[in-house]
Amino acid sequence: MTAAQPLLALDSISLSFKGVKAITNISFAVNKGEICALIGPNGAGKSSLLNVINGVYQADEGRITYQGISRTTMHPQWAAKRGVARTFQNIALFKGMSVLDNVLTGTNLKVKSSWLEQVFNLGRAPADALSQRQKAERVIAFLKLQPWRNSIVGGLPYGLQKRVELARALAAEPELLLLDEPMAGMNADEKAEMSRFIVETRREFGTTIVLIEHDIGVVMSLSDHVVVLDYGKKIGDGSPDEVRANPEVIAAYLGTKHGETA
Amino acid sequence: MAAETLPFWLALQAQQRPARVAIRHKQLGILQQSHWQSAHQAVLRAARFLQQQGFDQGDTLLLLSEPRPEALLLSLAAHWLGGVSAPLDPAYAQPQLLDLLHTLRPKFVFAEAQAQVDQVLAAKPDVPLVIYADARGLADYRHPAIHAYSQIIARTVDEALTSVAEGNDVAFRFYRLSALYQLEYRELTHAELLNNGRQLVEQEALTDQEQALAARAFAASGHARYLLSPWLLAGFTLNFPENLATRDTDRRELGPTLVAGTAATYQRLYALTQSRWPLPGSWQYALVAWALRASQTQLPVLATVAHWLVVLPLQDVLGLRRTRVPLLVGEPLSAEAEQFFNAIGIQVRAWPEESAWRTSQLQVIPRQSQDLGNYFGLKALRSAV
Repeated sequence: MTAAQPLLALDSISLSFKGVKAITNISFAVNKGEICALIGPNGAGKSSLLNVINGVYQADEGRITYQGISRTTMHPQWAAKRGVARTFQNIALFKGMSVLDNVLTGTNLKVKSSWLEQVFNLGRAPADALSQRQKAERVIAFLKLQPWRNSIVGGLPYGLQKRVELARALAAEPELLLLDEPMAGMNADEKAEMSRFIVETRREFGTTIVLIEHDIGVVMSLSDHVVVLDYGKKIGDGSPDEVRANPEVIAAYLGTKHGETA
Repeated sequence: MAAETLPFWLALQAQQRPARVAIRHKQLGILQQSHWQSAHQAVLRAARFLQQQGFDQGDTLLLLSEPRPEALLLSLAAHWLGGVSAPLDPAYAQPQLLDLLHTLRPKFVFAEAQAQVDQVLAAKPDVPLVIYADARGLADYRHPAIHAYSQIIARTVDEALTSVAEGNDVAFRFYRLSALYQLEYRELTHAELLNNGRQLVEQEALTDQEQALAARAFAASGHARYLLSPWLLAGFTLNFPENLATRDTDRRELGPTLVAGTAATYQRLYALTQSRWPLPGSWQYALVAWALRASQTQLPVLATVAHWLVVLPLQDVLGLRRTRVPLLVGEPLSAEAEQFFNAIGIQVRAWPEESAWRTSQLQVIPRQSQDLGNYFGLKALRSAV
């Protein structure tokens, strides 16, 4: 991948479920170190697109280029190994495990020791365990989760669980982080805190972030690049200011001003 | 080197107990240790650096930090050079803190992290020296006065640096804002601190085996009197929590034998217990109430049962099971809290806060809204610098 190439490029991606078109011919690119927001009404195809990017869904048509490698289909394992991590719209944590254990699961991909070495704690396993713990602790400190390090995740407030999910994704040391509604169900303070963590993630680790968010205020202040979807089609793509001024976006998603409709 | 100074005692401990643990601090979930020898070396390196930056006898190092070893070691470095350490209480509200900084116009500052660095730059953009501990968010700062503590400590000291501190020199200065927005201060000399510390060491029979917890280190003068100087005199281990939010967990893990707290410290622990009290009317509530009464009776069987069933678990929850010397500095405890701690076998001992607050010549003028705007527009300021 050359410096001029984007980290992620989607070219004419289409996806359908039993004949129902979820995504139609969508193309856009995400540059390295960028925060890119996918916005659109419910059912616009945002989550489906995220699932296509990390290989949970296979696109019917089109190509995905990630780190300069172009593919017609992505596979979750391939994507994860190449540094794609994600969080989910509905929290998908191990509710009966502690915060630390949940975050440690995010470090598993980088483990070098075999399962046999791990069972008997031999060979590379002790060094792996130490390195995993250090990575997990760094992320816990980064997201200020220390007071809840040993708390069981299921008993934590919703906002904190969202933060733990982000921590688990960051523990994988991703190059591309996909966040599916990271602020859904949060109050204003929690949203501000999560926004700060997202900005700091990019700044401290250089992580490229693609996020889905419904709060337009948050999207416009947080993102470098906004892609707008409506009924599975792209209707806007540009900087927050460009998208804000796009008449098609205003009509379809942001709403028209009073007096302009008459 | 003058004997009645904090640097003298630091050097003495480094000589007598070089390999014993002086400081423990939890970092990334793991306790890190510094021995007396390495603490002494760190102070010398920091002192050398401060000296190179123009810090001289009588100068003040302002501390804007929660309790952490870096703040302690830099304070001692300032003392080494005959200077004063002035910790500002981190509990101050942001506008008041900015007013204080604006009035004090500090020249030498230890700012814990980005938020504190921003506050200092907002109050005095041309500040000559700011040392920070936590580098997060500071990578893009290009201000020439900003230095990382870790880099300062990594430098070696080529030549010996003799402390110029004297017993009557002011070691700590504490500031506060009065209700009338007047700047008030309180000073403690090396000799005063060591006298107070010596009294405590003798009266409580403190040894180098103690484990002390510095949860609100030196923000209040009582902590300097009854934690810092006894630490230097007795040579025990001073433990710092990972951060303020984890102090209760850390206390449970560490099991300190010496706790120097204010009324607020103990009230908070009491409130923590209250919040987890069983519901009135339940058998658990009746059991706890009975046990707290029974633990103080003269009947050994009842007292023992109460001790094992309720008192010990409560001490464990509060992290006070090993606490031999629970000190209360300053304001007295509420009657209920005092009664509770007595019932669980924690005999809180009050130690006086003797020195009076004096009114400063400096008048604090509340900052204008445009100044605060400047604080929030720091990005522009930083790029300009």
